[in-house]
Amino acid sequence: MSTDDDPHRDLLAHVLLPVADPDDALATAEALEPYGPDRVTALHVVEKGAGVPDKTPVEQSQELAEESYAAVRTVFPDADEHTAYARDVVGAIRDAADEVGASAIAYRSRGGNRLVQFLSGDRSLKLVTNTERPVIALPAVDSNG
Amino acid sequence: MSDEELAKDLGLVSAMTIGIGTMIGAGIFVLPGVAVNADGGVGPVVVVSFVVGGVIAMVNALSISELGTAMPKAGGGYYYINKSLGPMFGSIAGMGDWMGLAFASAFYCIGFGQYLAVFVGLPALPLLNPIQVGALVAGAAFVGVNYIGAKETGGIQTVIVFVLLSILTVFAVAGIFSFDYATLVGSGGLAPSGAGSILPSTALVFVSFLGYAKIATVAEELKNPGRNLPIAIIGSVAVVTVIYAILVTTMLGVIPWPELSTDAPVAQAAAASFPVSVGPIGGVAAAAAAVMTAGALLATASSANASILASARINFAMGRDRIVTDWLNEIHPNYATPYRSILLTGGLIVVFIALLGRDIEVLAKAASVLHLVVYALMNAALIVFREADFPEYDPAFTVPLYPITPIAGAALSLGLVAFMDATEIALSVGFVVAAVAWYFLYARDETPQQGVLSEYVRSREEELPDQVVDAADAVAPRGADGPTIMVAVSNPRTESALITLAGALASHEGGRVLATHIVTVPDQTSLETAAENRERIDTESEGLLAAAEADAETFGVPVDTKTILSHRGFEEVFDAARSNDADTVVMGYGGAQFAGGRVEGAFDELAHDLPCDFLVLDGERLEISDVLVPTAGGPSSDLSAEVATALRAALGADVSLLHVVDPGEEETGREFLTDWAAGHGLSDAELRVETGDVETQIGRLGADYDLVIIGATERGLLSRIVRGALAFDTISTLDTPVLLAERPSSRTLRERLFGRR
Repeated sequence: MSTDDDPHRDLLAHVLLPVADPDDALATAEALEPYGPDRVTALHVVEKGAGVPDKTPVEQSQELAEESYAAVRTVFPDADEHTAYARDVVGAIRDAADEVGASAIAYRSRGGNRLVQFLSGDRSLKLVTNTERPVIALPAVDSNG
Repeated sequence: MSDEELAKDLGLVSAMTIGIGTMIGAGIFVLPGVAVNADGGVGPVVVVSFVVGGVIAMVNALSISELGTAMPKAGGGYYYINKSLGPMFGSIAGMGDWMGLAFASAFYCIGFGQYLAVFVGLPALPLLNPIQVGALVAGAAFVGVNYIGAKETGGIQTVIVFVLLSILTVFAVAGIFSFDYATLVGSGGLAPSGAGSILPSTALVFVSFLGYAKIATVAEELKNPGRNLPIAIIGSVAVVTVIYAILVTTMLGVIPWPELSTDAPVAQAAAASFPVSVGPIGGVAAAAAAVMTAGALLATASSANASILASARINFAMGRDRIVTDWLNEIHPNYATPYRSILLTGGLIVVFIALLGRDIEVLAKAASVLHLVVYALMNAALIVFREADFPEYDPAFTVPLYPITPIAGAALSLGLVAFMDATEIALSVGFVVAAVAWYFLYARDETPQQGVLSEYVRSREEELPDQVVDAADAVAPRGADGPTIMVAVSNPRTESALITLAGALASHEGGRVLATHIVTVPDQTSLETAAENRERIDTESEGLLAAAEADAETFGVPVDTKTILSHRGFEEVFDAARSNDADTVVMGYGGAQFAGGRVEGAFDELAHDLPCDFLVLDGERLEISDVLVPTAGGPSSDLSAEVATALRAALGADVSLLHVVDPGEEETGREFLTDWAAGHGLSDAELRVETGDVETQIGRLGADYDLVIIGATERGLLSRIVRGALAFDTISTLDTPVLLAERPSSRTLRERLFGRR
């Protein structure tokens, strides 16, 4: 169906899919699904304190990552997984994209009002600014679709 | 492995600042005024109380360092105690640590409120004084910060601690110039109430040392924990003890102790230490007091913050062991924080501030007394680990002078409790009773954890007095008493038969059923197809597991259900059995065959190393009134006998035993079978000794029964079923359902140690 010189397919040749938790992972994967990416790598960034204790114990963070990957695999059974540990989540997403050689990063904004986004750090904005590769903002579809 | 390394990002300095940052908030900024004036006036000898507190903390710090390097796990003290002394003491320790932290947080909030009142006028509300109002606002803010998980910028903890240390150093230097020995001893000498007031005062100020143990709760995040953990824990206790001694002495030499403020002592002492003006610059003393007040707010805030976070760690560890419900540890979808745990702890803090906040001494002692109980248990845990020679216990740091150090640690901790007031002692006794009640009413049925201590006692049943063994049995967790029977359901037609088997086993052995639906997504399936199928899989899975749950509940056994998505198929059954600590796996023959043919070599490896007992049913329906058990001895036929016993007990099935011998050996055969039946509690079973070919006989007789249970006579039966290479042709043509039982013949060292079935 597709060839390598088809630019539409190139963009989706290898999509890096940052996911936060199983629900987010499922919703994000479903939002990406209609576009039929060739290859998907699910990424979970364990947010590190770097100098202060983490918000959650390491063991719990790793469980969450595993559950999130499983959720992505319900949509993309062949999806690879990649776990990063970093304080700077957005930086870790970019690094992971380099590491796995992703053609694009696809993410789904998780809403929240301005104050919440400000307090927890507005990742959407950071992700699309100064990016070296395409960033796909997926439409926020209902995950029960 | 690399993941483990990546997760470690706390260096030595960060670790030390966690300890120091939590501790100095209380000792310097909140307590000196209260402590020196407590009980009619302790006087300057309170400095000795701080030092004694430091010594007690140091002895415990040594023990915690050993335990922490042996087990760098989230949860700290609770984890060690639960692992060592078992879940009853684990419940005491977990609840004690948790409530102790909540009391300590309430105490820090009150301290914050006291200094806040210096800066801003706070209103009094009905039932609440202005300081409590400030403390409640602060407490709510700290809980909110932890709920949202607002990020502190990198190393802020380190910065805060260094700023505090600098402020305090400047204060100490200024204080030395204003220090007047006459002021120190001017109000009744060094010990106006006598030396007897030292220890009761230590009981009060010990809250200033709660903090070093928090380093152990984040041990898994430490780089090089074998080295950094002991240095950080021991170092932070040493540092704060010295700071307390110097600064409290300084304060008391600047301000006569009866006049020292019980609300904001450091601000007052700073105002008196600094000259009112330096040359043309006026207001120096006032500015110094303001800086001290700001420092105090920072210090108490960081103490409260660290305590709230540490309590969430303890909740996590307790939830993992099912001492409390894991529901508490759910992670917030947006903030990635354990929000329920934080809110609950926050609620406790608010209640403590509102009800007990008028008297900061009560909060301080309540926090200390609960922590001291935990420390005492922790020392006992260390001794048990050492004496039981627990193989996984391999600390990088060991306490000096064992066993004197842990014994001293336990004795000093409990000894200090004795110097508390009756109220706090009553509180701690009531608390222990409540935690034990919690264990027996809730946790005992839930937790699968058994302590090293009870293993040790049970393994020496012969040598130890009966009372000891009985006592160990009386408090043993029931969550672990019974085995976990994992059922891999895959097909609605066989679901009920498999669950019947599992339910009968579980109800007979007092265990639980775990019904799993393993959804295999073959690698070849295209993405689109899998996606289309997903909804169908979800519905199917839900329906299947709901039916399984209903079927199992008819046996009155606890049931859990789980859908496992995997693209590895049958191997996943092994993984799931391992990760869920299953003792027996019940699955359908179809399910086992389904996976065959793909990766035979790898699969053979797998099936040769069974993680637990396997029961594979060939048949779709079970209505069991009689069971045939052919046997020739061996571990797998032991398993057949256990299953038959369970079916007899749970379903009233009649059991017949069959032993096939060569012609002429009937006599020895009958002897063997009689012994075997007696040895397996099946003396009342019908015994049948036949001659000829085993398979033919099973095929001939089996037709008259509702179920034939065949134990694997050699290892690897399962792999042969899967490959379709099973030689029992007669049996596969038999109409009667056949249950194949295979028990791993060699058990690993660990399984033997932990007494897994």
